[in-house]
Amino acid sequence: MTNPKSLRDYVPASLRADAEHEAARLPDLLARAEHLAGAVLLGAHGRRRAGMGDDFWQYRPAQMGDSRRAIDHRRSAMGDQEFVREREWQIAQSVMLWVDQGASMRFASDTNLPQKADRARLLGLALSILLLRGGERVGLTGTTLPPRRGNPQVLRLAEMFCQDDEVDYSPPEHRAMIPHARAVFISDFMGDLASVQLALTKAADRGVRGVLYHVLDPSEEAFPFTGRTIFESVGGTLSHETLKANDLKGRYLERLAERKAELQRLCALTGWQYGLHHTDTSAQSALLWLYGALDARAGVAA
Amino acid sequence: MTVLGGIGFTAPWLLIALFALPILWLILRAVPPAPIRRRFPGVALLLGLNDDETVSDRTPWWLLLLRMLAVTAIILGLAGPVLNPEVDQAEGSGPLLIVLDGTWAGAARWSQQSEAIEAQLTRAGRAGRTVGFIVLARPDVPVFQSADVWRTRLAGFTPAPWQPALADIDKAVEIITALPAFDTLWFSDGLAFEGRDAALGALQRRGAVEVYQTAANVLAITPAVYEDSVIKLSVSRATPGLEREVTLQAEGRDPAGNARILASVPATFGQGEVIANAELALPSEIRARITGFVISGQRSAGAITVVDDGLRRREVALIGGRNDRESLQLLSPLHYIEQALAPTADLIDGSLTDVLPANPDVIVLADIATLSDAESGPLMEWIEQGGMLVRFAGPRIAASDISRIEEDPLMPVRLRAGGRSVGGAMSWGEPKSLAPFKDTSPFFGLTIPNDVVVSAQVVAQPDPTLAGRVIAALSDGTPLVTRKTSGQGQIVLFHVTATAEWSTLPLSGLFVEMLERLAISSAASSPDAGDLAGTTWTPLRVMDGYGVLSDAGNLPGVAGPDLINAAAGPQMQPGIYGSGDRRLARNVFGVDDTLTPVTWPSDIPVRGLAVAPEQPIAGWLLSLSILLLLADVVASLALSGRLLSRSNAAAAVLLALPLLGQPSQGQAQNAADIFALEATNEVSLAHVVTGNAQVDEIAQAGLVGLSDTLFFRTSIEPAPPTSVDLEIDELAFFPILYWPVTSDQPRPSSEAYSKLNEYLRSGGLIVFDTRDADIARFGASSPNGRKLKELAAPLDIPPLEPLPGDHVLTRTFYLLQDFPGRHNSRDVWVEASPPDVERIEGMPFRNLNDGVTPVIIGGNDWAAAWAVRRDGAPLLPVGRGYSGERQRELANRFGVNLVMHVLTGNYKSDQVHVPALLDRLGQ
Repeated sequence: MTNPKSLRDYVPASLRADAEHEAARLPDLLARAEHLAGAVLLGAHGRRRAGMGDDFWQYRPAQMGDSRRAIDHRRSAMGDQEFVREREWQIAQSVMLWVDQGASMRFASDTNLPQKADRARLLGLALSILLLRGGERVGLTGTTLPPRRGNPQVLRLAEMFCQDDEVDYSPPEHRAMIPHARAVFISDFMGDLASVQLALTKAADRGVRGVLYHVLDPSEEAFPFTGRTIFESVGGTLSHETLKANDLKGRYLERLAERKAELQRLCALTGWQYGLHHTDTSAQSALLWLYGALDARAGVAA
Repeated sequence: MTVLGGIGFTAPWLLIALFALPILWLILRAVPPAPIRRRFPGVALLLGLNDDETVSDRTPWWLLLLRMLAVTAIILGLAGPVLNPEVDQAEGSGPLLIVLDGTWAGAARWSQQSEAIEAQLTRAGRAGRTVGFIVLARPDVPVFQSADVWRTRLAGFTPAPWQPALADIDKAVEIITALPAFDTLWFSDGLAFEGRDAALGALQRRGAVEVYQTAANVLAITPAVYEDSVIKLSVSRATPGLEREVTLQAEGRDPAGNARILASVPATFGQGEVIANAELALPSEIRARITGFVISGQRSAGAITVVDDGLRRREVALIGGRNDRESLQLLSPLHYIEQALAPTADLIDGSLTDVLPANPDVIVLADIATLSDAESGPLMEWIEQGGMLVRFAGPRIAASDISRIEEDPLMPVRLRAGGRSVGGAMSWGEPKSLAPFKDTSPFFGLTIPNDVVVSAQVVAQPDPTLAGRVIAALSDGTPLVTRKTSGQGQIVLFHVTATAEWSTLPLSGLFVEMLERLAISSAASSPDAGDLAGTTWTPLRVMDGYGVLSDAGNLPGVAGPDLINAAAGPQMQPGIYGSGDRRLARNVFGVDDTLTPVTWPSDIPVRGLAVAPEQPIAGWLLSLSILLLLADVVASLALSGRLLSRSNAAAAVLLALPLLGQPSQGQAQNAADIFALEATNEVSLAHVVTGNAQVDEIAQAGLVGLSDTLFFRTSIEPAPPTSVDLEIDELAFFPILYWPVTSDQPRPSSEAYSKLNEYLRSGGLIVFDTRDADIARFGASSPNGRKLKELAAPLDIPPLEPLPGDHVLTRTFYLLQDFPGRHNSRDVWVEASPPDVERIEGMPFRNLNDGVTPVIIGGNDWAAAWAVRRDGAPLLPVGRGYSGERQRELANRFGVNLVMHVLTGNYKSDQVHVPALLDRLGQ
């Protein structure tokens, strides 16, 4: 994807090489996400009552109004009574993810730290794997990948997550939200807050609730810079020059705190949850929090 | 050279460049440090934030000052500044004679004197004068040569360990008188000696005389004296002066034979005194090891006094016959020997077997005839190694059959039965007196008192060897004292008793002197010339002017009295002299000597030796400028905020390291630390580097594969595996070492083996893999098997057995019966289980040993079966088709079991007991 080519350019040999190159990134992300998800034990799922679903729940005597087709003849043949086979009520929730692919996410202040984008994708994919195992339908916001069930969706998600966006700060995708679904937005929210507000209010209008997950690099919290500096955005579109960077620290932190407060206010207004994560902390705890947040809300919704 | 304010400049015109400094100031001031570019997503939040104060984008004044100082230092440095520039002095003309005392008194400041001479030679060379040298301690006709020639030969002059004798001065005067006119520079050592005025007069007649003499005082130490159980030392100085403390050091050898300072004692000159005394009390063991005393910090022959036997007290063991009656003390067979030796020797009492381990110098047996085998054996050994056995005859020896038919090894001669008695009441003849000592006898020169008579003795059997062994005889020729050497030691027999029963010898002074000559006792006081009359002493080690002892080579011997009386000189060099077993030290400075400072006539100019040499300081200034520029680098970095950012920290450290001067240590420490950190952050499997690239690669890939298997199947999540070099790397961090055996790998060093043994003892596990599927049948060993035996021989490995079916390895994670790798051989060897462990009825397995087996030996080439390529696919084929894949799977399972076994020990062994135990409890 880094070097887009028109279809004409693909001769079979290079097509395969490029495909392998692209595919090489998938197993890594997938494996790590699977590994991360494997540490979370699924529990408290399933509705424990009769309803629409695949799994057997119980046999009950047929009553008036039951369709004749619903009678389970194998069970009924064991006696005189007619039995209806009930299945466990399973509802599948649709969860829509938006993981910021913007250039600002491709930043790590230290070679030992993962990039924000890396961490965000890992969390997104691991969360998807967990949800898909729980039988939910998972997809992306927008029209590129609508929510679907099953393991193949993991591969499709992984593929979508591997695409980089060239825009510096990409706005949340808020189109084609399914009413009353859940949504997870993972980003550093460094861009324009108006677009976030638009997305959230639009979601709230449709009854979509979810989680706003704020991923930051430790240096963005600490601002450990001094001296004469020209700051540039990762995409290179913005720049700011200062003579004494350490003087800016206080005001920068103030603005960051304001931004966090604003995000929290928006969440409170729309009934979303706000979470903050730093790339130098464990991905495991972040995943647990995300899953818990989503699950708890799901329970309330149900 | 231009001199400005006491500093000379070789290139003064360069100083004009200093006028350019203000211009540079203006230019530098206008150029601020460049900004740093930084990627930062948070820049969106920064937009619109302006700097509070408008920091002028000009260089701060202190940075400018730093740079100006650096530039100034460079300009000054290049201008060639010189400290103490030599202002031209009036040079003389004509030949120049340099006169040296050349005695030990100048040795302490010889290098200073050489520098002063060199400075004078430089001046003389500049003036084109020829120079000659005359050394008063060794006068010789001077050769007048150019100063440059002499400068190269200056190092050849060394001080002599004596003062010039009158004869030397006479010779020097003769030489001087024969020379044409010249000027004189006299480098004096500061001590007066006879004939100095005559020499001065002769020199003044030839031309102007100038004297160079150090202001420092000459110190000398007198020979040490042992009196009243303390060593008395005294130090003299030439001129009285202020109170001064010097340290005297006793030099000697430690028990290991290395030279070292054994003791030190301070001595203080009082105000205006020229002699300082000190006393040193030392145990005899240490005293015996002292080789000399020196004045600390003074390097001259006068400041050292070497020690002969005078301080040494021999250890003498006295063993008398069994006292079977309550006898009077005067009748004790040892009484007279004790009296004779007590003042000068350390006596040891006890039985023979008790005293031998103390290794005394001498053992005296008084009238003891027979010795048991347990005694005579070690005694003989002690004699062979240099011991001296002195035996006295007596009634018991006379009555015994010792050395009668065969010569006893512990007797010098054969004895006749019974002995003889002369001059008694029942015999004819008179008691015999002693014959004069022959010149081959060690007693030669001793005077024999008339009252020494012998009335009874044991008689030696005539033998061909007898004549050579007699060292004292009676007037009728019968041997009185006989001696033979045995190994490095000797055996001496007095044919009379040690008491006054058989002779009056023990009552006389001769007895003491004889013991002294035999070096049984050592002289309490230094001998005088009379004592040494008739003896000749060979120089063993002689001293140079610095007081360093060296081998005497083939210097001729000197007569005994000369050793005491004659003045030191080329024929009588100070040092250590020996005669037979005795040692005498001849020191430069005697007990009665004094140091007299020289007084020069008032018309002779006397100068000090101190020379303030020209000192170019350009190097210092240039170094200073480099330091300032380095400081400027750091300051500029700090200003632009690049100094403390993390990426630049390493660079800053690298910059700072050469300044600290310890880069290599820091980096080495760092490398070891990084290795330790990487190895301990996570569990890491490790393999031994064999040196065979292919085997190492497969081992590495195998451990990568095993790590992956562990990662995906178990809760063990190992870090990437490590390759371990046994010689360099620390092993303690790794729970398991995989060691593929190749037939050509080098044997680890003994340090590496001690590390490996330490590793095994502290719970490590080594998996030896001969990779040939054959090893376990130890008999028919393959090349790799033989190599394994060779490699493992120095290792501390317990007894082994083939892996039993109920070993915990079969069930630590997977249940296994086979342990295949790329080969499938059943035989894998582990630590043998204890022999007394029985399988309990109803239990599936025995309760086996605790802990982890320290080694596992097999030949199945496990690493090859585990090995994966970078993309996770198997690296090497195993077996064929599906069964091959099954074998690979089993190999992986074995690997998992192996690592589980290492990390959990016998945990699984206990766990499987639980159902069985519960079962039994229930019944």
